[in-house]
Amino acid sequence: MSGSSEGESDLTPMLDMVFQLITFFMLVTSFKAASLDLSLKLPVVGSARPVETGGEESLLILNVNKEGQLVVYSLPQDIVPYLKAEAKMARLEAKRKTGNFKDTDDLPTTVVVRADKDTPFGLLNLVIKTCQDNGFRKFALKATDRAAL
Amino acid sequence: MSRRKKKHNGDGVELNLAAMLDMAFQLLAFFIMTFKPAPIEGQINLKLPPPKPVAGVQGGEKAGNDDNNRSAVEAISTLVISAFSTPGGRIQTLAIGEGNIAGVSALDGQLRDILKNPDSPFDQVIIQIGSKLRYEELMKIVDVCTKQTLPNGEKLTKLSFVELPADAQP
Repeated sequence: MSGSSEGESDLTPMLDMVFQLITFFMLVTSFKAASLDLSLKLPVVGSARPVETGGEESLLILNVNKEGQLVVYSLPQDIVPYLKAEAKMARLEAKRKTGNFKDTDDLPTTVVVRADKDTPFGLLNLVIKTCQDNGFRKFALKATDRAAL
Repeated sequence: MSRRKKKHNGDGVELNLAAMLDMAFQLLAFFIMTFKPAPIEGQINLKLPPPKPVAGVQGGEKAGNDDNNRSAVEAISTLVISAFSTPGGRIQTLAIGEGNIAGVSALDGQLRDILKNPDSPFDQVIIQIGSKLRYEELMKIVDVCTKQTLPNGEKLTKLSFVELPADAQP
């Protein structure tokens, strides 16, 4: 208010408000959403429920479009080499966490499959089978529930 | 500059907030532009082991290991569900074992009847699926299967998928 007589506005309240907005966006921004291909139309399944892992479980998110292409962080990937590399990483991580993890053990990582509702099973099965061949056993098939529509 | 001089002549030091406000607006613009709320999605959790023989062999030996082994099978422990698809990817025919069933809702009832029997030997389900069947249709079957409870009280989560050839007929 000191400069009001000279036509200068007090910027403090505006700055306060802007900082509050910044704080809000910082808190609600999640960069996890970047790994999701939002162009995919997920199937509607009544019993599908959001599951909170508490951030303890490691997840491998795979987006499969209706052409059967594997899309990770908006980039199409070759299925076999990509999953082999991910399995190798998951195995190293499991060995680091639990010392007695053997190469033949099932991987603790959960594969999250986000496939388009029109993806033919033949193409989807290629992804699932490659995951199984590389030691992944835990899967989560993504869908939306009716309430979310 | 003349303005500053005037201020310094006043009763204290005043910060120039304009620069800070500029920076704050830039940060705000960044967060607004990168803000993408994550969609609310559900999931169905499954244990998907590779398909195994549907029956055990006496003595605990693995089925198919020895061609000369003529021992009788111990028990069929796997329930086989077949889903044949239309060329458009919809469910054409559903079957449990050899018997056809009317649709997904009938599958629910049949599975419940089979698994509520305390002597039911089944602990896993193999779903044979036509290669053209769409993911949406597959999820209807998976949804029904994961709703079932095994005789031991556990939820049925152990499923295996087997792909049927494109020209497979019921």
